[in-house]
Amino acid sequence: MAEDKTNFDAPLIERWLAEQQQWQKTLLTYMDSMVKSEDFLVHLGNAMRGSLLAGKAYPTQPAPAASAPETPSDDKLDQILFALRQLEGQVHDLRLTLDELQADKKRTPRKAQPPKPKDPQ
Amino acid sequence: MNEAGPEQERDQERELEALLELSRRGRAKLERLHEVLTTPGHFGTGATPATVVYRENKLRLLRLLDETGQPREGRPPVLFVPAPVSRYFILDLLPGRSFAGHVAAAGFDVYIADFGTPSREDRFADLEYYVEGLVRRCVRTVSSLTGEDEISVVGYCLGGTLSLLYSALHPETVRRLVLLTTSVDGDVEGGIPWVAHRMGLSGEPYDNPRLVPAAEVKSWFEMLAPGSNSTLGRVSDLWDRLDDAPERLREVRTMASWVDDVVPAPGRLLAELYRKLGPGSNGLMKGTVSVGEQAVDLAAVRMPVLSVSAEKDTIAPPAGVDAVRRVVPHVEILRLPGGHVGIVAGRAAAALWKRTVEFLGA
Repeated sequence: MAEDKTNFDAPLIERWLAEQQQWQKTLLTYMDSMVKSEDFLVHLGNAMRGSLLAGKAYPTQPAPAASAPETPSDDKLDQILFALRQLEGQVHDLRLTLDELQADKKRTPRKAQPPKPKDPQ
Repeated sequence: MNEAGPEQERDQERELEALLELSRRGRAKLERLHEVLTTPGHFGTGATPATVVYRENKLRLLRLLDETGQPREGRPPVLFVPAPVSRYFILDLLPGRSFAGHVAAAGFDVYIADFGTPSREDRFADLEYYVEGLVRRCVRTVSSLTGEDEISVVGYCLGGTLSLLYSALHPETVRRLVLLTTSVDGDVEGGIPWVAHRMGLSGEPYDNPRLVPAAEVKSWFEMLAPGSNSTLGRVSDLWDRLDDAPERLREVRTMASWVDDVVPAPGRLLAELYRKLGPGSNGLMKGTVSVGEQAVDLAAVRMPVLSVSAEKDTIAPPAGVDAVRRVVPHVEILRLPGGHVGIVAGRAAAALWKRTVEFLGA
């Protein structure tokens, strides 16, 4: 942003004119950023809601159309998807149990095999 | 003729001078805002280098790395469990302002559970899914990676509730437990369940749950924090803040990027928490809480426990947090000045970090 070089000894009218020019520069800088960067628009929108949230838009309630009631088939599909998520977890559990068993095996040295009884013959 | 006298002219000049000064200050604020909005910063991710050691559904288990990019192998492991209704990076906010980073720098092998952002199917996730599923598998993964049978767990807010329930169900796997601003007494007024209670709602539907939109979760937090629940109030606060130096504003922005980045919440989890732990039922204090089919007995929590409350906490009122001593009598209680977020990541968070490191290392 342009540096403010106000001459405080200048007459009031001149200082007002200089201030107006500074405002124009400030507004142009904003417009320039708005045109160049979509992120800036999002961030400016957040600031207008009183938030400095970066990277995404400030959370707002979805429009009524967006939160239309789900159909029974949507519901079933979600339940199936979630059941798959649970299965994914159970598979991880199984893998962790196998890892633990292997680690236990390594930790516990193999017991020496008792010698086979000699053939009496 | 109506000519202004010299006195009147001086008055007018003074007014114009005052207006000019006002204009200059307003413009300076807007210029500072522009600078802050266009400066890249540290937003939305943890501050400390980390590697993902486990993934499940939206969850990522992060392991913090040292300065050379290596895991801190051979050090005592610590798992941080944040609240699943907000983002994890409050525990690892900024370089020099990271709770988890501080614990790691003190010589611990630190892991953070990032629960991620739930999507529609996750509305069916319940307490059992979180405690016996995600948290338990995080602990198991850490144990598997480090070869340690017991690890320390640090739970924040609702993450503390999950950690406490987990520790009661699997005490043999938890070496030390830290509960940060974790409300235990549901009858103490305050917190999200009380918002629902005051509004005359019986909580979320359990059987046909919805994914509670982020904006709605945010509005509950706003109801608990007077002053932040109107756009006008927030804009006015921000306008006042724009007098701060850009460096300070960037810090504020990082914090705002956590506070305002709330995630949607699984409705079934909220419904279960309200029904089991909320006002009236108060299952943790009454000993009636269960996770799935398993009854939870807090008497099983025999490992050393540190519970930390914040004096000005409106989300987890300190009286409800400190009540843990009635159900876990050997708990060490620490009450710190500050609010729910400030004690973890604010400028005065050093007191919490120091005590936590001492406690974990004892």
